[in-house]
Amino acid sequence: MLRDNIKGGALTEVTFFILLSLYKPKHGYAIMQFIEDETKGRLILGAGSLYGAINSMLDKKWIEPFGDDNHRKKEYIITSLGKEINKREKKRLNEIIEIASRIMEEV
Amino acid sequence: MSKKCIRYFCGFIGVQEKWLNSMSEKGYRLVRTGKLIYEFEESVPGKHIYSVDFVAHKSNAELKAYKQFLEDIGYQVMTKNANLNWSVGKIRLRPYGDRFGKIATSPGNYNKEILIVQKENDGSPFELHTTVEDKISYYKSQRNAYLSILLLSGFLFFWNSFKVNVLTFIILAILVLTAFPTMALQKRLWVLIKQSSLSE
Repeated sequence: MLRDNIKGGALTEVTFFILLSLYKPKHGYAIMQFIEDETKGRLILGAGSLYGAINSMLDKKWIEPFGDDNHRKKEYIITSLGKEINKREKKRLNEIIEIASRIMEEV
Repeated sequence: MSKKCIRYFCGFIGVQEKWLNSMSEKGYRLVRTGKLIYEFEESVPGKHIYSVDFVAHKSNAELKAYKQFLEDIGYQVMTKNANLNWSVGKIRLRPYGDRFGKIATSPGNYNKEILIVQKENDGSPFELHTTVEDKISYYKSQRNAYLSILLLSGFLFFWNSFKVNVLTFIILAILVLTAFPTMALQKRLWVLIKQSSLSE
């Protein structure tokens, strides 16, 4: 479902933010709130899209359910594989920034 | 004071959403749905906002999990039928389910093709599907629903071998009624797919 290119390692912005939000366990609404707050309202994630993204990431084992099942609202947390994916993405973004800065500031 | 309205939207999701939001503006909040009946209660005008979601391609288990997810977020969720059905019995094939169609069972996801999602209006638009990827798969499942009916009626049209009778007109009406939304959804998909090659 997610168009995340495994080979190039590029995550979608939403995927990256969901992973960032789950360094501490959160339920669905808290994830949406986190993304809206951190981007100061620039990025707003709909619940349907979030649902699809969560399921894809659970399949890939980038995140996992947190806590017991009888917990009223389902919570999720990032896995060590998810953290690895995020580290690679941060490195990739930094490289892009470096290249862009070098070229754009030359002119 | 409750108010009952009889409406049928032929599965047109946008029209239904607009109508529910205009009812909310007039001070009516949806409390119950039946096959053709929408029951409202008086409420503060504009207090609630609605989003209508197409879920007919989901299996019963998938639908339950999705509905629970939306309720956990704090939305109120009501199920609604998209089509009127004339079938007898409790099992029915849904040609527009994922892949090769799905069986709809009663009680189960039968008559639950649409979700009406309600939340308190916070002034921002209420969209369930926001990412390009998700929009593409969402509109695809809707297009496939119309397309399956379109193909089925096309098949019936030829099977009826161009005889002119009452059936011909019924089939033609269904063909035309499904051709327009199929095309509209396809156009929307093309725009999204083009966009997805440049941005998310």
